[in-house]
Amino acid sequence: MNFEWQVITHNFTFLMGGLVTTFELALIAIAGGLALGILVGMARLSNIKAIYYPATLFVNLMRTQPLILVIFWFYFFMPLVLGRPIGDFMSASIAFIIFEASYFAEIMRAGIQSISKGQVEAAYSTGFTYWQTMRYFIIPQALRNMLPSLITQGVVVFQDTSLAYVIGLREFLRSANVVDAREMRSVELYLFVGLVYFMVCFSMSRVCKRMELKKGNA
Amino acid sequence: MIEIVNVSKWYGDIKVLDNVNETIKKGQVVVICGPSGSGKSTLLKTLNGLEPFQEGDIQVDGISFSDPKTDFMKLRQKMGMVFQRFELYPHMKVIENITIAPVKVLKQDKSRANKKAMALLERVGIPEQADKYPGNLSGGQQQRVAIARALAMEPDIMLFDEPTSALDPEMIKEVLDVMVDLAKSGMTMAVVTHEMGFAKEVADEIIFMDEGRIIERGTDKSFFENPKSERAKDFLRKILI
Repeated sequence: MNFEWQVITHNFTFLMGGLVTTFELALIAIAGGLALGILVGMARLSNIKAIYYPATLFVNLMRTQPLILVIFWFYFFMPLVLGRPIGDFMSASIAFIIFEASYFAEIMRAGIQSISKGQVEAAYSTGFTYWQTMRYFIIPQALRNMLPSLITQGVVVFQDTSLAYVIGLREFLRSANVVDAREMRSVELYLFVGLVYFMVCFSMSRVCKRMELKKGNA
Repeated sequence: MIEIVNVSKWYGDIKVLDNVNETIKKGQVVVICGPSGSGKSTLLKTLNGLEPFQEGDIQVDGISFSDPKTDFMKLRQKMGMVFQRFELYPHMKVIENITIAPVKVLKQDKSRANKKAMALLERVGIPEQADKYPGNLSGGQQQRVAIARALAMEPDIMLFDEPTSALDPEMIKEVLDVMVDLAKSGMTMAVVTHEMGFAKEVADEIIFMDEGRIIERGTDKSFFENPKSERAKDFLRKILI
């Protein structure tokens, strides 16, 4: 077999443009998904039925759908709801935030449950409100306890962003696909794409492993 | 100062507080004792609204818990609480544990709160631990930080929920010393404890609970020397060995 690696170097800027989009989408999905996930995770622990049931329905609905379908939904439904097209990046961002929030919510729910009730009582006993108690004491500890799971989920989100391919968003995989259509160098291109995904995800999971070791020693 | 009137509480079908009546006056130290499961910690936690109850009423400084307008956040600012398992915030330094409520709840200036926190750490005897994390302190030190944390809100009343039960024997005294000091300074205190030495030294009243009821009460002498109920006699025999 003869490889022509120049296809990578010649299209490097274009491919990196796609990688930047992938990073942007992953960052938005992780930040937005985590923020929404914290709220949904809190709602899943609520004693108030009007809060608990919608949150539970949301989580179960999202977690029983393939991500690719959710991406389609938002791509086709958002323009109908809003009355105007919102673009592929925007619709993918919303789909990812909402979908990933359901996974982050379950991690955060477990994280909040891992904190003793006494911590809540201690905060309440000095006059903190529910929201302050969550913000200053419970969520920071829950995030710290769940850091390994959160990073693992972050790695999954990073890989998942490649599915935005289906609505034509020019992220990393799509960029390689575009180059391939022109240059017919599938093997080189997809090997390269795989290598980049490996490097990013592997280094993230190394960070995660190190944190787990550190936590074990503490 | 605190008026408990006919308070009853159920967990499902189980009655955990049975028609409790008690008055705690300003400056008084009331010790609550009794076997485990007798409802003493539950009673203590009803006093600052951490545990709701179904019947009766509690008034603190004339503010009734049954009044729907009662602001428990406000009320708790004036009632410090110390827990069996310390419940310091493990992700914050000792000094931050003490200052966070004054700064965030009372909106105090940070440098002023820091100064006061250092004075409180001085008072409980561990100013050198200010910049450590709670996990690096001994149990006795942690509990003293917890007392300082509660005092930082300048409460009128202090509630203690078995403050020495989770401590190694050699650390009990350092915590009790701080509590005795506090009692002698005129603080109003409700203390759930089995430390009868502490009760003898500072308690104005001792109440003995069993199965959710106060079955005996008295000043220290009458309670220790001549308990009326069999249950209390039995209990005292067991813990005073």
